[in-house]
Amino acid sequence: MIWVAWRQQRAQLIFLLVLLVAGYAAMLLLRGSMQTDLAGLGGCATESAVSGPCVTRVSSFKDSWYDLLKAAEAFVLVLPVLLGMFCAAPLIAKELEHGTHLLAFTQSVGRTRWMLSKFAVAAVPALVVLLALQQGAVSWVDAAGRLGPLDSGPFEWTTFGSSGVAPVSYLLFCLAFGMTAGALARRSLVAMFTTLVTFVVLRVLLGSAHGMLAGTQRLVSDDPAKSPGSETAAQYVESGYLNAQGQEITVEAAQPQISACGSRGGAPLAGDLTACYRDHGLVKSYLDVVPSSAAASVHWAEAAVFAVLAVLSLPVCRWALHRRP
Amino acid sequence: MTKETGTGDMTMTDGQPVVLAERLGKRYRRGWALRDCSLRVPAGRMVGLVGPNGAGKSTFLGLLTGLLRPGAGRVEVCGTEPSGRHPDPRISFLSQGKPLYPQFTVEDQLRFGRSANPTWDQAHAEEFLARGHVPAGARIGTLSGGQRIWVALAVALGTRPRLVLLDEPLADLDPVARRSVLAALAQQRQRHGTTVVLSSHVLAELEEVCDHLLLFAAGRVRLAGDVRELLAGHSVLSGPRTGPIPVPARCVVDAAKTGHGTQLLVSPGPAALADPAWRHRPPTLTQLALGYLRSAHQEVAA
Repeated sequence: MIWVAWRQQRAQLIFLLVLLVAGYAAMLLLRGSMQTDLAGLGGCATESAVSGPCVTRVSSFKDSWYDLLKAAEAFVLVLPVLLGMFCAAPLIAKELEHGTHLLAFTQSVGRTRWMLSKFAVAAVPALVVLLALQQGAVSWVDAAGRLGPLDSGPFEWTTFGSSGVAPVSYLLFCLAFGMTAGALARRSLVAMFTTLVTFVVLRVLLGSAHGMLAGTQRLVSDDPAKSPGSETAAQYVESGYLNAQGQEITVEAAQPQISACGSRGGAPLAGDLTACYRDHGLVKSYLDVVPSSAAASVHWAEAAVFAVLAVLSLPVCRWALHRRP
Repeated sequence: MTKETGTGDMTMTDGQPVVLAERLGKRYRRGWALRDCSLRVPAGRMVGLVGPNGAGKSTFLGLLTGLLRPGAGRVEVCGTEPSGRHPDPRISFLSQGKPLYPQFTVEDQLRFGRSANPTWDQAHAEEFLARGHVPAGARIGTLSGGQRIWVALAVALGTRPRLVLLDEPLADLDPVARRSVLAALAQQRQRHGTTVVLSSHVLAELEEVCDHLLLFAAGRVRLAGDVRELLAGHSVLSGPRTGPIPVPARCVVDAAKTGHGTQLLVSPGPAALADPAWRHRPPTLTQLALGYLRSAHQEVAA
């Protein structure tokens, strides 16, 4: 059955191979060219200068490379869902559309074996291509260091989605879910669209739940008028105020107090803002963040969710195949 | 109104029936597609599965292959209940529309059969390609309908099945191709003892080759049995347009008034007719089937 699955997906697999070679070679070449530019920056590459001749040279370096690096990250981020849509979704749906599944079902091949061999032949090459391209992109982005997207920290959406276990977990989910959607919908296009929408929705939901996945860190400032300082790389979750009893007051709930202390109609501030906030019961301000050091655990937590959903998809697919002829 | 013959001495000599159905039924959301189907098909027969569109032929074949699960009753094929999970290599099925992988070459398609089956006879499969003059290197997608049937038959019969089920295999073939396909199937049956079941909504094309008939209409079996016995059990009476009919009404399967007179299909077969105004002759298979189909139609309409 492996041979049959291979023969059916041959054209796609050749395309994947071309993509792998071309993509990897392009990233190697670009990386080499970027490193020449980096060497040209000399001492400016490591300095975080805010003035002087380095500023213009660094910004011209960023002008030519930042967007490309970002694009490489974005490519690794979207590759799993593209593979899910174009390789996995039609895997079973196309056979159901053409009636060719009956060929396998009525030969001496079990449906589960048929499904698993198709999945394996699609998944293994996709995984190899993704891992290789991820490695290429990550090493390129790493080479740029703080002059590239890494400057925005690990939670920057393209950086987060293209590093660590994230791409692999996305891929496993998109492949398993895509194939299952195809078996349920019995239409390739419907399955492709469902895969795309489901992935985007899940990714957005999980992206906004980083705090829940890895736990947040609370930073407190004794001055209610000033936000506690945090590393720029951390991911913002929530901010607000604390009253004398240490209870949270959200920014929305604190609006009356804030406006009572605020300037009105261009009139100068009535005295000390900090004292005014305190008088109105806003004793401290807090900031909840996911620290950048927690990025790895967020990755693993998110990967666990995607992996569980991927694993759950397969029995659903099997059930769909056994349900109808 | 089910007529069944061929369950007597025929089965005894042929041994275990290849297909045995008892009150078999299948229900979809829109209603029963097949109901109360009881029949047996002895081994080595060329079986015509006939009925109008929507008669339940494809459902019946689906139940035999195990692709569908019975909603009522039971069915045994080659002595076992068919299971969709573990298809029986002794049974081959060619579904409607003759699905093949369009991007495969003919050679690849045979290799599929080889890799998917423990019992595969490459030489036997290639015979069918040779009969249809199908080039082995051609892509399936580029073949004509007349060539595709030979590839489909090669895949279905390359496994050397004991029973082959063909759903509308002759649809979209020209008359010459139909004849040569039927000849190939007849030869397969003769040489290898394969039981061949082929469905069609056109009876005429099966008349010459089939020795066993299963007639379905509106989800029920109307007629099932050995063709010769069925023909011997019926006769066609022709007589005047008006006046009494010479047989009891319960014997009449179907009555048709033509410009010349009345034609009756009656069962049982020939008996001495007292009335000289009536003549009887044996029915053709087409007359027999049409008579039962018409009566089924009236029954449904009533």
